Amino acid sequence: MILVLASAVLSPGSSCVINCISKRSDDVSPLQAVVEQLSQQLVHLTAQVEANKNRIDDTQRAVGFTARKKLADVHGLRLYETIVFDDVVYNAGDGYDPETGFFTAPVAGSYVFFLQTMLHNLDEERLFLDITKNGSTLARAHERRCSRSEILNRKQTASSFPTALWDMPRRRMRLPEDTTTRWTTSEIFLELSKAVNNRLVLRRLCHRVQTSSLLEDRRDAVRALKALSKVQNRVVEYSVVLSLSPSVYKFRLEVGTQAMDVLTKVLETDRSDVEITGYALDTLFNVMSNEPSEEDEMTSKSSVDLGEQFTEIFIKKQENVTMLISLLEEYDFHIRWPTVRLLTVLLTNRLKDLQECILVIPMAVSKLMDLLVDSREIIRNDALLLLNQLTKGHANIQKIVAFENAFERILDIIVEEGASDGGIVVEDCLLLLLNLLKNNASNQNFFKEGSYIQRISPFLELGSASAPSKQSGWSAQKVTNIHLILQLVRTLVSPSNPQNQTVACQKVMNQCGLLQQLCSILMASGVPADVLTETINTVSEVIRGNQANQEYFASVLAPSNPPRPAIVVLLMSMVNEKQPFVLRCAVLYCFQSFLYKNEVGQSQIIQTLLPTTADVNTITAGQLLCGGLFSTDSLSNWFAAVALLHAVIGRNTNNRGQLLRVQLATSLGNPPVSLLQQCCNILAQGAKLQTRIGLLMLLCTWMADCPIAVNHFLTNSANVSYLISQVSSSEGDELELIVQGLCAFLLGLCMVFNDNQNSSFTKASLKEVIQNRIGEEVFADKLTQVAKNENYTRAAKKPHLNYKHPSEIVFDHEFTKLFKNLENDVLVAVSGEENSGLKATSRREHENLVENYKEVIKEQDQKLNDMSQRVLELQSKHSAATATIDELRSQVQQLKDQNALLKAQKGSQSSNHLQGTPPGGDNVEKFQKEIQMLRFQVAEKDLQIEQLTTSLTTLEASLASQIGDENKENSPSEAAVLQISINRLNMELKDLRVNCDQKDTEISTLRSQLEGSQQDLLQLQNNSSNSQGFLDSRVTEMTEEIRRLSEEKTSLQERLKKSNEENLKLANKIRVLEEEREAEAEDKRSLNEELETLKKEQDDLLVLLADQDGKINKFKQRLKDLGQVVEEDEEEFDDEEEEMGEEA
Amino acid sequence: MLEQLGQDPNVAVYCTSALHHPQSTGSRHFIVIDALSIGTSNVLGVGKSCLLLQFTDKRFQPVHDLTIGVEFGARMITIDGKQIKLQIWDTAGQESFRSITRSYYRGAAGALLVYDITRRDTFNHLTTWLEDARQHSNSNMVIMLIGNKSDLEARREVKKEEGEAFAREHGLIFMETSAKTAANVEEAFINTAKEIYQKIQDGVFDINNEANGIKIGPQHSPANQNMPSGGGGGNQGGNCC
Repeated sequence: MILVLASAVLSPGSSCVINCISKRSDDVSPLQAVVEQLSQQLVHLTAQVEANKNRIDDTQRAVGFTARKKLADVHGLRLYETIVFDDVVYNAGDGYDPETGFFTAPVAGSYVFFLQTMLHNLDEERLFLDITKNGSTLARAHERRCSRSEILNRKQTASSFPTALWDMPRRRMRLPEDTTTRWTTSEIFLELSKAVNNRLVLRRLCHRVQTSSLLEDRRDAVRALKALSKVQNRVVEYSVVLSLSPSVYKFRLEVGTQAMDVLTKVLETDRSDVEITGYALDTLFNVMSNEPSEEDEMTSKSSVDLGEQFTEIFIKKQENVTMLISLLEEYDFHIRWPTVRLLTVLLTNRLKDLQECILVIPMAVSKLMDLLVDSREIIRNDALLLLNQLTKGHANIQKIVAFENAFERILDIIVEEGASDGGIVVEDCLLLLLNLLKNNASNQNFFKEGSYIQRISPFLELGSASAPSKQSGWSAQKVTNIHLILQLVRTLVSPSNPQNQTVACQKVMNQCGLLQQLCSILMASGVPADVLTETINTVSEVIRGNQANQEYFASVLAPSNPPRPAIVVLLMSMVNEKQPFVLRCAVLYCFQSFLYKNEVGQSQIIQTLLPTTADVNTITAGQLLCGGLFSTDSLSNWFAAVALLHAVIGRNTNNRGQLLRVQLATSLGNPPVSLLQQCCNILAQGAKLQTRIGLLMLLCTWMADCPIAVNHFLTNSANVSYLISQVSSSEGDELELIVQGLCAFLLGLCMVFNDNQNSSFTKASLKEVIQNRIGEEVFADKLTQVAKNENYTRAAKKPHLNYKHPSEIVFDHEFTKLFKNLENDVLVAVSGEENSGLKATSRREHENLVENYKEVIKEQDQKLNDMSQRVLELQSKHSAATATIDELRSQVQQLKDQNALLKAQKGSQSSNHLQGTPPGGDNVEKFQKEIQMLRFQVAEKDLQIEQLTTSLTTLEASLASQIGDENKENSPSEAAVLQISINRLNMELKDLRVNCDQKDTEISTLRSQLEGSQQDLLQLQNNSSNSQGFLDSRVTEMTEEIRRLSEEKTSLQERLKKSNEENLKLANKIRVLEEEREAEAEDKRSLNEELETLKKEQDDLLVLLADQDGKINKFKQRLKDLGQVVEEDEEEFDDEEEEMGEEA
Repeated sequence: MLEQLGQDPNVAVYCTSALHHPQSTGSRHFIVIDALSIGTSNVLGVGKSCLLLQFTDKRFQPVHDLTIGVEFGARMITIDGKQIKLQIWDTAGQESFRSITRSYYRGAAGALLVYDITRRDTFNHLTTWLEDARQHSNSNMVIMLIGNKSDLEARREVKKEEGEAFAREHGLIFMETSAKTAANVEEAFINTAKEIYQKIQDGVFDINNEANGIKIGPQHSPANQNMPSGGGGGNQGGNCC
C-alpha cells in the first residue's frame, strides 16, 4: 500500500512531474488504519490550511498545491511512469494538473517541493521517486526496504525535498579538482538523466541478450553492451556547503553487475560466432580493467577494488577460467587477442587465485606458452605480458613455463627483436626471464644446463655499430635492456644462491666469454654511469670466490696509455671524490669480490704497498689505497680502509704481518711512520666519523689472530689510552656509540691475541685496566651496542653494497662476520673469571696446539708413508729372497739327493770293493753281469715268444672263424697264405726255441760257475757282514715289536667292538625297561583314575548320605512332632548298615 | 673481365661453405631428451629424488627434503657414440602436487615410474600413476618401471617377480635399483634413453617437434664466429676488383 503525497509551495515556473522509477510492495492491511487516520488528520489540516490560504489569497496571489494518491500496491506502478496524484487537496493558482500529474508553474520564482512517501512491504530493492523538470531529474527520494517501525519513524521525519540522493557509491564522489570549471545545475541534471537513460537501456539489452533467439539480435545487443561499458557520465554530489563536485561515472558497475552472467553465457553458447564472442570478451575486459583514464586518475584506487571484485566473482566459477583457456585454441584474432587481454587483467586483479586456477586446468600453461609462437606480433607481445603476470612469485608455474621451453622461445624473440637494441618487447622478454629465474634454483640449473648462458653473452656485445654515436647511442630503452640483462646475470651468480650452483654458472660465464664481454663494457667509453655501475656489480658477482675468474679479472688491462690493470683504474675512481657515489660503492664491491677467498690476489695487493717493489713511475693499487686512506674525503678513507681490510682478512695471517712493514713518508724531514701508527694517529686526532669507523674496522681485522700486530699496536701506549678514553666516555649520539663499541672490540682483541711479549700490556694487565678503568658492564654494553645497530644488520645481510646515500655507509659485510665470530671471545676474555678469561685464549692456544699436533701428525703421516713404502720394498725383497732360498733349497735337495745317490753308489761300491778285494771277485762280478745279461735276454726272448704265441693264437682264432664263416666265399688262397705264414712263424719259433735251449745250457754252466764263486764269496761276506747282521737282527726285532703292537691294537679293537656290542645290548635293555616303566605308569594312571572315580562316587554317596541324614532328621522331627518316640541309635545304626551295604 | 669472373666463383664458394657450415658440424649437435620421474609417496618418498641425485651427482643423500612441485636435473650421456643430454624433471609424489605433475607429461619423451620394494602400497598405487601418465602423455612415451631400494632386501615386501609381471602386463621395461648403493641406477636411466634413442632412429619420434620432449641441443662450436669472417672474405674479394 502506498500513499504518496506531494505538495508544492510557490516556486519558479515550468512543469513538474513525480515519477515512480522502481517499486515493489505487497498488500498489507494493518497499516491501513494508520493511513486512514493520518489521511483524516491530513484532511483536517488541509482544511485548516485552506482556510488560511483563503485568507492569504485575499492579500496576494498564491501558488501551491497539495495532492495525494493511494495505491493498492506498488505493483500498480510501472517503470518510469509518471505518478498522477489524483486526489487534489489544494491547488492554488491551478498549477497542478491532476489529469496528467504535471505541475506548471504559473508565476516565476522559487518553488519548494515536499514529497512524502509511506511505503511498506517493500521487500525488494528500493523505490526511487524522482522529481523531474522538463524531462530531467531534479531530485530523488528513495525508500529502502526496512522494518515496520522504521517506516513509522520515517513517517514522522518524512523524507522530503530537497533530498537529492544519487544512488551510487558515495566514495566515488569527490570535490572539483579545479575551481574554474563550475558546473551549472542544468548540466549536471542533464548528465544525470543520461545516466538514468543508460541504465534503462542496459536492462533492456541484457534482457534482449537473454531472450532473443536471433543471433544477429544478440550480437547487436552485446555490441551495445560493449559500448555501454565504456560510457562515462559526469555525476555530482551536493556537499554540505552545496558546492557541486563533478565526477566521472562509468557504467562499468552497472554493466558488470547486470551483464556478467549474460556475457559468460554468451561465451558458452555463441562460441561459434566470432563476432559476438569478441564483443563479449571486450565487454568483460572493459568491466574488469582498471585502466585509469585521465579524469579518473585520482579515483583509481577505489576502482581497483571494483575490478578486483568483478574478477573475484568471475573466477569464483572455475569453469569460466577453463572456458577462457579453451578459447585460446581459437585462432581467430578477434577471439584470441581479447582473451589474452582479459586473462592478463584477471591476473593483475587477483593474481594468487587465478594462478592456482590455471595450475589446476590441464594443459593451461602449455596453451599459454603456445601463444609465444603466434605469428601475429600483437598477440605474442600481449602473451609476454600475460606470462609476466602469471609467473610472478609462483615457483611451480615458473618451472612449468620453463619446462614448456620458455627460455628457448624468449631468447629467440629477443634475438628477433634486435637484442639489446630492441624495444619494449625485449624489455618484456627480459623481465619474464628474470621472473622465471629469480629465487628458483631448479630453473637456474635448467638455464645453465640448457646452455642458455652462452646465448646471453652476445646480447652484451656493444658492437662497433654503436661506436660512432657514442654519446647518443644509448637510448633509454637500451639502458633499460642492458640493465635487465645484467640483472639476469647477477641472478644466476648471486651470493645468496647455493654455492655449487653459483660456482658452476661462474665457470660457464668465463668459458663462454660473458665475463670478457662484461669487462669490455667496463673499459669501453661512453657507457652511461648507471650501466657502468651495474656492470661493475655484475662483474663483482661473476668473479666472487671463483679463482679462475679472479685471475682473469686481474689480467684485464685498461686501454689507457700506458695500459694499466683494470683494478688500478677502478680503484682510481673509487678514491676519487668526483665520481658518483653508487659507482664508488660498486668498485669497492668489485674489489672485495676480487679478493674474496683469493689469497694470491691479497698478497699481490699487499706487495704493492711494500717499499721493495714500489715503483715510482707507475701507479699501484697500494699507492691508491694509501692515498685514499689519508685523503681529506672521509668516504675515500672508509673505502680505502675497507679495501685494505679485505686484503688482509682471512685465515692466512701472513698478510697481516706483511702489512706491518709498510712505512709512510709523511712530510719532508720527518722520519717515516708505520702504516699502523699512522692509522692510530688519525684516529687519535679525531677525524670524521666515517673515517674513524673505517680505520677501526681495519685495525680490528688487522689485530685479529695476529699477535705481532697486537704487539706493534701496544708498543705505543698512547694507543691504549686512546681506546680506553673512548670506551669509557659516556656521551655521544648513536654513531658515536658505534665508534666506542668498535674501540672496545679492538681493545678486547688486543687482549685476546696478546702473546705477553710486551711487558707493560700483558693479558692480565690489560684485563685489570679494563676492569678498573672502564668496568666490565660498561665494556660489555658498549660492545653489544655494535651488533644492535640497524646499519650493522643491514651490512650483515649480504655482501653487495646497496646504498643510496654516503651517510648510510657504516659497516662492511666481511667485518660483521669477523665481529660475530670474535665478539663472544672478547666478552668472555674480559668479563669472565680467570679461568673463563683464559678460556678464549686457551682455545686459541688449543687451536695452536691442535695446529702443532696437526703438523706432528702430518710429519708422522709422512713417516708412516715412508715406512710403508719401505716395508713394501722390503717385502718385495723378502719375497725375492725367499724365492731364491726356495731355489737354493731345491738345489740343496737335489744335491742332497745326488749326494744320497752318490752315497748309495759309494756304499754299493764300497761293498763291491769289499767283495772285490779277495781274488776271484772280478770274475764273480763278470759272471754276475753276464748272468744278468743273459737273464735279460732270456726274459726278452720269453716275451717275444709269448707275443708270438698270443698273436698266433689270435690269428688262429680269427683264421678259424674266417675259415668257418668265409671258407665258401673267400678264395682258399688267402687261407693258404695264412697257413704259410703260420708255418713260417712256427719255424721261427722252433729256431728260437733251439736258441733258447742253447742259451739255457750256457746259463746252467755259468750258474754252476757262479755257485762256485758264490761260495767263496759267502766266506768273505761272513767276515765283513757281522755288523750288518747285527743291524738286521735289530730291524727284525723292531718289526716284530711292531707286529706285536699291531696285534695288540687289533685285539683292543676287537675288545672295543665287543664292548660296543654290549653297550647296544644294554641300551636295548634300558629301552625295554623304560617301556615297561611307561606301561607301569600307564597302569598307575589308570589306577589313579579308578581311584579318583571311586573317590568321587564316595563323595557322591557321602552327599547322598548327608541328604538322607537331613531327611531322616526331618522325618524324625516330624515323627516327634506327631508324637511318636523314635530311637535315634537304632536309626543311625540302620543307616550305617545301609551305607556299608551300598559301599560293598 | 676474366679476372673478375675468376674472382666471383671463389667468393661464391666461400659463402656457400660458410652457409653450409652449421650443417656440416651437425655431429657437434647433441640430442636433448626430456624425461620425468614419477611415483607415489605419502610421508616417506620412494626415492625418486635420490635416484636423480645419484645419477646426476653420483652421490647419495639419505635425508632428502620433500620435493615441492618439480626439481630439475641433467646429465650428458653417450649412446652409440652419440652425445645425448638427458634432462630429468623429478616430480613430487604427493597427491596434492598431482595437477602440477600432470603439466609435465606432454613434453616428456620418457618416464621413470618408481616404487619402493619395501612398501607394498607404493606398488599398489602404480596403476593410478600409469593411467595418469598414459592419459596425459604422448602415446609414444617410453615408461620404465623401477623398484627402488633393492639394498633393503630384508625389508622387501614386493617380489621382483611381481614387478616383472606388472611390467610385462603393461608393456614397460623393468629394473630394480638402489639409489643408496648406485646399483642399476646408471643402467636404468641409460636404458630408458636408449629406448628413446631407438624410437628416434625408427622415426617414431620427430626431432623437429619439440612437444615430444626431444630436440637438437645447441652446438658448442663457435660457428657463429665463422660467419662474419666469411662475410669479411667476401668484402675483400669485392675490394680487389
